[in-house]
Amino acid sequence: MISIGFEDQVKIGLRYILDSLHTSSPFGTERVRKLRFYAPDEREALEAELSCTERAANAIGTLRPLYEKIMLVLCQLKDVRGSLRRLSEGAVLDHVELFEIKGFLLRIADLIPLFDRMNETVQAETIAFTDPTDALNVLDPEGTRSRGFYIPDGATEKLRAIRAEKKRQEARLYAAPDAEKDAIRSERTRVCAEEETEERAIRGTMCGRLLPHVSEMLSDADAAGHLDLLIQKALFAAAYGGVRPEITEGALELRDMVNPELADLLKAKGRAFVPVSIAIDRGATVITGANMGGKSVAMKTIALNVLLFHAGFLVCAGSARLPMLECVRMLFDDAQSMQSGLSGFGSEIVRFNDALKEVENGFSLLLLDELARGTNPDEGALIVQAVTQYLNGLNAISILATHYDGVAEHARFHYQIIGLRDVDPDAIRSELSAVHEDGVAVIARHMNYGLYRVEGKADCPKDALHICRMLSLKPEILERIEREYR
Amino acid sequence: MQAALLKSIDSVKTLSIVGMCKNAGKTTVLNWLLGRSRDRVLGLTSIGRDGESTDVVTGTEKPGIFVSEGTLIATAKDMLPLSDVTQEIVHTTGIPTPLGEVVLVRARSAGNVQLAGPSITSQLKTVSDLFFSLGAEQSIIDGALGRKSLGARSVAEGVILCTGASYDMRMEKVVSDTANIFRIMNLKRAETVPAESEKPLADTLKETGEALIPGALTDTAVVPLLKNGVLKNVRLVVQDPSKILLSPDTLDKLKIRNVALETVEAAKVLCVTVNPVSAYGWKFDADAFSEAMAAAVNIPVINVKEEAL
Repeated sequence: MISIGFEDQVKIGLRYILDSLHTSSPFGTERVRKLRFYAPDEREALEAELSCTERAANAIGTLRPLYEKIMLVLCQLKDVRGSLRRLSEGAVLDHVELFEIKGFLLRIADLIPLFDRMNETVQAETIAFTDPTDALNVLDPEGTRSRGFYIPDGATEKLRAIRAEKKRQEARLYAAPDAEKDAIRSERTRVCAEEETEERAIRGTMCGRLLPHVSEMLSDADAAGHLDLLIQKALFAAAYGGVRPEITEGALELRDMVNPELADLLKAKGRAFVPVSIAIDRGATVITGANMGGKSVAMKTIALNVLLFHAGFLVCAGSARLPMLECVRMLFDDAQSMQSGLSGFGSEIVRFNDALKEVENGFSLLLLDELARGTNPDEGALIVQAVTQYLNGLNAISILATHYDGVAEHARFHYQIIGLRDVDPDAIRSELSAVHEDGVAVIARHMNYGLYRVEGKADCPKDALHICRMLSLKPEILERIEREYR
Repeated sequence: MQAALLKSIDSVKTLSIVGMCKNAGKTTVLNWLLGRSRDRVLGLTSIGRDGESTDVVTGTEKPGIFVSEGTLIATAKDMLPLSDVTQEIVHTTGIPTPLGEVVLVRARSAGNVQLAGPSITSQLKTVSDLFFSLGAEQSIIDGALGRKSLGARSVAEGVILCTGASYDMRMEKVVSDTANIFRIMNLKRAETVPAESEKPLADTLKETGEALIPGALTDTAVVPLLKNGVLKNVRLVVQDPSKILLSPDTLDKLKIRNVALETVEAAKVLCVTVNPVSAYGWKFDADAFSEAMAAAVNIPVINVKEEAL
């Protein structure tokens, strides 16, 4: 079963997406908070969820007003599960609790016709509501369907008689001279006590008759949460262009995938996210590229979309073919490493070992960002080469980002950041001399964060040299570097 | 009671009852209000907890709050079992109190109720709005003691100020302190609100002759300006009367210097009620007390112990 810590959710941009969902009901909000990832043995359920999310997203053009109506009803739902639990334990609920349950049932009644209309298109077979009429008749025996909760006089003959007597005492009280009022008051108090006793008995009977409906109401609450999240998934897909992945036995292919958090961030700066494509399978995949961030972004975007898929979301990509996984683990360079008291490198190895243990339990995805970056490059390269070879033999898709040489040749797949491959250094140099801008910013603008597949043996791209040229490093030094490269 | 006063009480949509002290006769006034308009739908709530049948402080017997059929009540959930009206739960507000969520109940019979409403003025406003949406014609807020109840005026159009012998053994003190509260509560409503200024108060006043006081107006701020002569023939505007924390002496000085003290939002004090009997055993001469009070304020003064009420 996939579980993913809060820190990792934040890092890969999953939290950003979850925070952007506006579930309306307490049940939908709970589903987002305790986001559930489908396990490989729940393939049918995931297929069903994805299909209906896809239909809900595709129909958004026509169904949006209906979704809004549904959300309006959902946001009036209160969490009555505490009262329902007390009810099933045999407690006699008070007026306010019965009012809330009645309100819940009335809203479910409002929801059903709206949901039925939505379902003509969406066909959400896994969501079903129970007709609340029987349960409502218990709480609203006179069938007024008013929002309030009131035990009517006619609930029992005895109550009718008590209430009539109470009214009579009140009329007497208004009319009587002051001297007699105390006597009437105490008479009235006796009647009020009788009323309370009888009402309690009636509430007890109501609770007994509600008891058979408790499981239906709990399942309705669950269905409301499911519907709530489904609509949010559809709205999310509409906003970020989601696509339904085809489920594979092992291949992981994401074409033109996007990371919404980074895309929004870049958009705010007037730039655009460069879609990333990758097609890999079991074994180790190495992503190489200069140290300017593209590798991590690619890995985070892969992790994000794989997790979205497992949670039944459409994924942010042009097209996708994804396998169902037992476990997703990721090791990103972060400040956590300092907490354990070990050196950065030591704690990284400890975390890597922990991750391996889990990954070896079943078909998994393992993401390693710049493993062994904290040690010297010669040793680091040896370590990463060995790890790569080992990962090739695991029942797992492993992706390593590295800028060490000699790693890629051990990997089953090798991807490289396009980086500055297609950029003419002279063009940049002239642009730099024309605009008085930060040179790094200019280069970042020209950097292509996309990936391309490297066939055969290839070393890391020599973007560092490119960058030295563009930033007009002292010619004497540049010449020496170029001589070494040859 | 004067017809003009009744008319002014009926004309306000929201009415709060503010007491100078415990046993000032607040509940008597409330019951009278509830009793006289039995044919109208009233909404009833309180700031915080009130309405015990025995006063928890003095142990004296207090009148309960008796509502007629149809009255809407906003009170904390735990108070419901202590009320003997036949209840219809009409709304749950989500407003939390130490005694549970504030719940709106329609009384389906007459009876006694226990009030424990919201303690924040914005929530009181929410409750009043709910009353009106459920068909109430007037919303009545039973105020608790002290400053908190002054704050409630931002949600009430009209105020009934209740005072009594329980406040102090000296009648003069009861009268002068009540008059002082009345004076603060009944400040003129500002026709125009001065612009907010970043500058020190003295500079703003010298430049424009008026100022909006962003927070509370205290003696510490005012007295130096009175001494150096800045506060003369100028206009000071505060948000509402609860922001004025000035001693009666300072208030007098401001008046002498022709300083206009105004409020942005002000309720209207409709009348002052007096209770000449103290819960602690002493008693004022009813007529002398009423007359002294009437001389100190320019609005109707009513004795809650009188038959007429």
